[in-house]
Amino acid sequence: MSRIPLTNIEQQPEPIRQFMARRGDLNVLRLLANAPNVFGGWAQMVDEMFDSPTFSRRMRELIILRVAHLQGSPYELGQHTGLARAAGLTEQQINAVVGTGDLDAAGFSRTERTALDVVTELCSTHRLRDESFAAAHGVFGDEAFTELLMIISCYYGLALVLNAVDLDLDTTARFQP
Amino acid sequence: MTRIAYRRPEEMTERARELTFARGNLNVYRALANAEKVFTGWMLAGRAALTSPVLPIRLRELIVVRTAYLMDCPYELGQHNDVARTAGVDNDEIKVVSSDSDWQTGYFNALELAVLHLTTELLTTRSVSAAVFDQVHKALGSEATVEVLMVINRYSGLALMLNALDVDLDETARLPIPDCESSICQRGGRSRYRPESRL
Repeated sequence: MSRIPLTNIEQQPEPIRQFMARRGDLNVLRLLANAPNVFGGWAQMVDEMFDSPTFSRRMRELIILRVAHLQGSPYELGQHTGLARAAGLTEQQINAVVGTGDLDAAGFSRTERTALDVVTELCSTHRLRDESFAAAHGVFGDEAFTELLMIISCYYGLALVLNAVDLDLDTTARFQP
Repeated sequence: MTRIAYRRPEEMTERARELTFARGNLNVYRALANAEKVFTGWMLAGRAALTSPVLPIRLRELIVVRTAYLMDCPYELGQHNDVARTAGVDNDEIKVVSSDSDWQTGYFNALELAVLHLTTELLTTRSVSAAVFDQVHKALGSEATVEVLMVINRYSGLALMLNALDVDLDETARLPIPDCESSICQRGGRSRYRPESRL
């Protein structure tokens, strides 16, 4: 049960209402709308991340699902498991990413596996060893590697907000990527 | 040694360059500008967080330094030890907030302590007990509580990026905090919440 009251969408200023019309009438957005001074900038960041062509939808959802699992966020897992499935991840791959299956046996490409390894090491140790950085940088290059970090950063931090508030998963509404 | 090349300001879009210069052209920005398709949005999110008047700057900087310490991020500590000092956190307070437990006695008022407890519990266990959460929420209300959580969100995520890229601390350049050029951000500041009067 959410520890902070969720705002009413009708009472939000126009930019917030527009963002919610585009991305979904979600509990997370009704929560963050309590802080209108920071909502707008955060929403622009999310828009750019999901509008960027750098990663496929499948790759982005893979990264998000792994962060959600490592941060123990039921809300992010609840939102993004279906999105991961819709983006083409198999049940076996989803199970492996959320810790109940074998990552090596799930048929990920080398690029996907490299991204998963970055997420795992960074979220669990807060840093990357030189050899991990070199491997990932070799696969992604400067721009995509930095954008990968941006996605990890966004969902790592957001998971903390959601866990702290104990936010309820939306009954049916889902994020529109 | 920073692991990727910095983007030069002249290679950035005009908007990205403006935002980078407005925040001191720091190494962190020139490194993250490599993600050129998402960098501007990320900078705008940061600007919103840094300019909102809802949290006293002193309280915000206590959260940032505590987060930097718990995320083991030398770059954030290097930048924000100085920003925190500008915001009215003294050297002893900076020292104890960057320690495992010394901050718990004798330095901070009840609201600051409650927020530091929340920050510590959230970053070390990834969740917060109802009692710790409610203490902060009762004292600050919903808007400021969400902003506290968004500061932890931003600086914990940023710590991961800085550590992954091993960004060098700027020799002298520091994040400019315009409001702190006068004395208004000393304890309590002009923001809507006055820690002394709460809890």
